[in-house]
Formats: sequence, C-alpha cells, structure tokens
Amino acid sequence: MSIAHLTRPQRWDLPFDPEMDESDVASLLERPEIIAINAAAFPDHTPFAGILKNDTRIVHFKAGDIVVREGDYGNSAFLILSGKLRVIVGDYPDVLSGRNRTGKKGFFATISQIWTNTNIPEARNTEKLKLQAVRSGDSRGTRNSRQSNPTRVFVRDISAVLDECSTVQEGEGELFGELAALGRTPRTATVFAETDLTLLEVRWQGLREIRRFDDRFRRTIDRRYRQNALLVHLSETALFSNLDEEVLGRIAEATLFETYGTFEWHVSFQRLLSSGQRGVEHEPVIARQGDYADGLLMIRAGFARVAIEFGSGQRTLTYLGAGDTFGLEELYAAWKDGETVSLGASLSALGYVDILRVPAQVVEEYVFPEIASPPSKTVDGGNRAMAKDALLEWAVEERFINATKSMLIDLNRCVRCDDCVRACASTHGGNPRFIRHGKTFDHWMVATACMHCTDPVCMIGCPTGAIHRSEVGGTVVINDETCTGCATCASACPYNNIRMVEIRNKRGVSLVDPESNRPILKATKCDLCYANPGAPACVRACPHKALSRVDFQRETLVEGNLV
Amino acid sequence: MPLEGSSELTGYLMLGTMIFLALFNVRKRLSMLVLGNASTWLTLHVVIGVFALAVYWLHTRTIWPGGMYEKALAILFYLTVLSGIVGYVIQRFYPRLMTQTGIEVIFERIPLYISELRQEAEALVLECCDKTRVDTLGRHYLESYQWFFSRPRFTFNHIVGSQRSRQWLKHQDEVVRRYLNEDERKYLDDLSRLARQKERIDLHYTLQGAMKRWLLVHIPLAAALMVLSFWHFLVVNVYSL
Repeated sequence: MSIAHLTRPQRWDLPFDPEMDESDVASLLERPEIIAINAAAFPDHTPFAGILKNDTRIVHFKAGDIVVREGDYGNSAFLILSGKLRVIVGDYPDVLSGRNRTGKKGFFATISQIWTNTNIPEARNTEKLKLQAVRSGDSRGTRNSRQSNPTRVFVRDISAVLDECSTVQEGEGELFGELAALGRTPRTATVFAETDLTLLEVRWQGLREIRRFDDRFRRTIDRRYRQNALLVHLSETALFSNLDEEVLGRIAEATLFETYGTFEWHVSFQRLLSSGQRGVEHEPVIARQGDYADGLLMIRAGFARVAIEFGSGQRTLTYLGAGDTFGLEELYAAWKDGETVSLGASLSALGYVDILRVPAQVVEEYVFPEIASPPSKTVDGGNRAMAKDALLEWAVEERFINATKSMLIDLNRCVRCDDCVRACASTHGGNPRFIRHGKTFDHWMVATACMHCTDPVCMIGCPTGAIHRSEVGGTVVINDETCTGCATCASACPYNNIRMVEIRNKRGVSLVDPESNRPILKATKCDLCYANPGAPACVRACPHKALSRVDFQRETLVEGNLV
Repeated sequence: MPLEGSSELTGYLMLGTMIFLALFNVRKRLSMLVLGNASTWLTLHVVIGVFALAVYWLHTRTIWPGGMYEKALAILFYLTVLSGIVGYVIQRFYPRLMTQTGIEVIFERIPLYISELRQEAEALVLECCDKTRVDTLGRHYLESYQWFFSRPRFTFNHIVGSQRSRQWLKHQDEVVRRYLNEDERKYLDDLSRLARQKERIDLHYTLQGAMKRWLLVHIPLAAALMVLSFWHFLVVNVYSL
C-alpha cells in the first residue's frame, strides 16, 4: 500500500501577516508597553517573539479612517503605536457607520416596487454607489496590513464630527478592543483615526496566549472585564437580579473565565463536515455527566450541547446559548440536602463557547438563600420519545442552532410553486435573496437563506462594516453601497447563505472595475425584508403554511409537526 | 321585462364572488404589499369557491342551462371548479409522495440531472463491455435502459400513484441478470442504482410538473369565465333597463 506524506499543519503555518519580519519584532520588543510583558514566562513552543511575529500585524490608518465600528464583530485587539484616535461616546452620524439606517418603507415606496422592479438581474443605481465615503482599495480584499491602499470607510470632515459627537481621545501605548475580541461580543464604540495612525493589531489567538502566560496582562484584562462587562452581565442574569451591587461585586471577583473550542469554529466545522467527523465525541467536554458540580457554569458567548449517555452513544437534551446556565439544579440539591450530587448530564462546546464559572461556595453563600428551588430542565429530557428530539439532534449536528430565523420548509406541505422565491424577488428589486433548496431531514428542509445567526461569523473581517446588525430587531443586513465585494463574509458563512453577484447598471450593462478589468461584485443575502412593511415576504407568500422562520431551541416536534 | 329580484341578487353575488376569487391571483403578484397571508387567501379561495357553486345553482336554478351562451358559461364554470378541485387535491397529496422519495430536486434542473445520470449510465455500460469483453449488458442497455434514461418516463403512472415504474425496473434487472457473470453483475447493480435514482427524479418531474401545470388550465379557464360573465352582466343589465 502506498503512503503519501504530509507535514502536520502547525499553529503558525499561516501568520496573521506574512510580511511581519524579525526587524518588526525587534522594534516592537523595544517599546515600553511590550517590554512590560514578561517574555520569560512564555514556553519554548510559544515564545512571545513568535506571537508578535505570527499573531500580530502593523496597520496604518490615514486621518479620518474608521478603525472599528460600534456593533461590529472582530477577533483582534489594537495597541496604538503612533498617532491619535477618537472613541465616539454616544450617538454618531450615519457617515461613520458604513451602514444604512433605512427605516421601514412608506406606503408609496412599497407600492412603487410594482413598477421599479426590473427583469435585469442585480441592477443598481450607479450614481448612488459613487456617493459613499469609502476610500477605495483592492476590492478583492486581501487583509494584508502592508497593502498600500486598503479599502476603508472614512470620515470626510473630522472637525465636524468632533463638534457633533462626544468623543474621547486615545494616544500612544493604549490598548483597545480586547474585551470584544476575547469575548466575541460586538464592539461597544466606534473609533476613528484623528491623525495618521499606526496600530499593532493582535489577533485573538495571540491575545489568548499572552493572557495565558503573562500574569500582569491577565490581571489587567480580567480587571477590565470585571469592571466593564461582568457586573452588567451578572446584574442582567435573572438568577442574580435580586442581589445588591456589593454582593454582585463579590461574585464578580470570584468568577473564573474559561474558553472551550476554537474561535474560528466555522472553519473547523466546514473541515469536520467534509471529513464526516461529527458528533458529541469530537467536541471539547466542559463538564462530564457523573462528575461533582464544583460551580455554576454560565454561557457568556457561543453554544454548548447538553447530552446524556444513552445506549451506546450520547443523546442531546438541549443546547445552551448566551445567558443560559448549567449545573444549577445539582448545586441546589447538594446545598439543600447537604449531600454530594453529581451532574445529570454532560456539557460540551459546540464550536466555540465562553464560560463564566461561579464557584459552588459563592453560589451557596449569596444566591441559594435568595431563591426557591430552580426548575428541572435537563434530567426529565431523557424520558421523551427519541423521535421528538430527532430534529433537535439534526439541528445541533448541522449547527443550525446558531440560527435565530432559519428558513424551515415542511416538504409535506410545500407544493414547490416558488411563490416564496417570487415574493422575495418582489421585495428586492426583482432578485431573490435565497435558494429554495438545502439540507433535508425527514420532511424538513432548511433552505439556503441567511439564518440571522446568534454568532454571525460573517460579520468578522468586513473591511467597511457593510454587513451589520440592523438597529431594530438585530437582523443581519448588508449595506449594498459600502460593500466592496471582497467576499470575506461569503467565505466565512458556514452555511453558504451569502451569494456574491456581479452587478449591472439600470440599462443591464455589467459593471467592471477599469483598473483590474474584473466585474464589480456585491454580497447579497436574505434580510428578512426588514425595510418592507409586514413579516418576511416569503412567509406571507406561502399559501400552504409550509415555510416558517424558526429558532430551533424554541421548537419541538409533536407527531411530526413543529410546535 | 325587469329581472326577477332573486336572480338579480344571486347574479350580483355570483359576480362579486368571482371577482374575490380572481383577486387571489392578484395577491400572489403583489407580494411586496401587506395584503394578508397567502394561506388565509387560499383558505378563503377554497371556501368561497365551493360557495360559488351553490350560488351558481341558485342563480341558474338548474345544473345545465338552456341557451348556447349560458351553456358556454356553464362549461367554463364547471371546468374552472373542477380544475380547482383537482389542483387542491393534488397539492394535498403530491408533496408527501415526493418527500417519500428521500430526495429533493429543483424542477428546472431536472433535465440536467437526467442528462448526468444518462451519461453516467452509458459510461458504466461502456466500461463493463470494455473490461469484461462481453457485450450482454450493453445490448440490454440498448434494448431497454436507453429508452428509460432518454427522458422522464412513466408520467401517467406517477400521476396516478402507480408502482409500474418500480416493477419495470425490477423486471429489467431480472431479465438480464441470469446471463451475466459476477463482474458484469456488479456493473448491473450500479446501473440499477442509477435507474432507481432516475425513477425518483422522474416522479419529482411528473408531480412537480403537474402541480405547476394545473394552474395553466385553471387560470385561463377562470379568465375566460370572467370575460364571459362580465359580458353576460353587461347584456343583462342593458336589457333590463
């Protein structure tokens, strides 16, 4: 039998910026804020210099360029090497966002679609496209920092923005964006370059290593998180809502932060799909059934599967998302009866999950005296008929759990008339924004339509912030006018629900970039008809009630029907 | 002579009912407007369609009217109702039959899928002849399977839910299997698998096609009925004045 050899891929095979060289690292190592990190604490296999070389890049911004936007998802933090930037506090003008703040269409705008819709595919108003404050660059969107002319949204009149908005100035040596990067949460503020700016961008993997090996950095990050986010998070959690600020502070001090799985779960998930390696046995275990519950586990970001041993495998009872807790029943029972109670189910990471672990003694001291018996959520699940959980098991395997509005079609009702597709086209200038085809399970099909994910990995890396959540309802939408057609979002979507299309002008002539002679592309996807009055047109248009937009966590099967 | 009061009333009711039924098609074309859910419209379309039958009998006071124009109207009305009932029934049953195939295909892509399956089948048979140096399977392919793979087959059988196609495929497999050696049988197994896949696609083609085409009967009939009814309405009102 012949054997092919392939070197096992290594962590730094793909550096953040291939052009980072030894001289860059050497100059970084002379900076006071970098010297403050204890390089000697890093192990030989992950030296600090290696992190700087492979997990960071130097990025240059011109005055006015937007660095990050409020609401964006990003997986890196920034250290200011030179120049000044402004953090906008509170409201900001539309031009800063790279987004459209389109409200609902009025009556006449809705009616006018009858005659403005065209048979020309993907026709655009080219005049409107030219008005955007986007500093043009390579529309194919390499993310390489040394790219001479990267595409960015910029502020045309900085002084006007400074007059209009409340801002805070940050200068050399300041670190920002680390909490959003580590916690996979949206950016909480918009930041733009006030002067020409040089930043050191540190990707999530590097941040994680620095936090792991440098005590001072970890303490700083943890303190910032505890001060800025954890207290708010705890106070918004139902379990802690009755506690006063002082007690919440003590709980926050004792809380441990843990991360399981990989941040780029969508990439590894696609690899798993192609290799056929799926199932709970391939997932990192957070807590094992039968083990002693040593703390209350709170999901801060990502998803986790709750499963029990069943037959020769594992049976999924449910999955948990941000804000859910695990182990509460067992801890409460142990506290009340004074006996050790083992966990009734296992918890494993579905892709990536960020956990807050509140130690058992803290929960017993501050929380349990204040609450009645917690409702049993997981233990009874094993008594249900297996068929009732089949759809959930499938949704978890396919990661459709990430969806808040997946397009689920009941094939036993669907007459394949395509009224849904035509309705979609009628609200999008004559272009449908989904494909009535997709993965099937029994008589259910999840069509190829944007699912408006809880964890929208498509939003990571958009150079202009064109893909974003709408202000009302949190629908993931794309601002066609600032989309540069780089396809970062389409490549990142684990479900292939974003399509790149070649656009035309109103006369049907294909638009081509004169420099590269390549067609102008735009990312397109379902936007839940967010600008149109009424519910999504596809749902309203189905005469047989075959199509619905669902969140799998809230659905269950009864006699084969979704309720 | 003035119209008899009840005929006038049922006539207006009939016209109003038909206009409402026709509006369902308008609703479908104006999906960008908030005009209610199409499912509610369909329910009303079916209920009021049945109601229209009763109103028609009340209006004409007979199942089969006398004059030529009235006969034309009656034929169109009955055919429209019949096509509506047929459409409703097939839309209730065909989706389940399609789901039972275990595959899902887009109607417009079916010719492409069939073409791919045919190429795969022909390549398989050629390889069999080439590798085994025997042309039995090739001959059988030309005598039977070639007909089957050339385009969608057993349309009528699929429409009425018959198992004829499955039986035909089983028969074609049995007919030739006894003359094949072990190597050839492996090729026949693969060919039968492709044929079963083609049969499932044929079923989709037939049923999806039927569910699309019944509207091509129902809507023109309904349109013609509307035109004739409107003319009837005008004539009757002009002469009644």
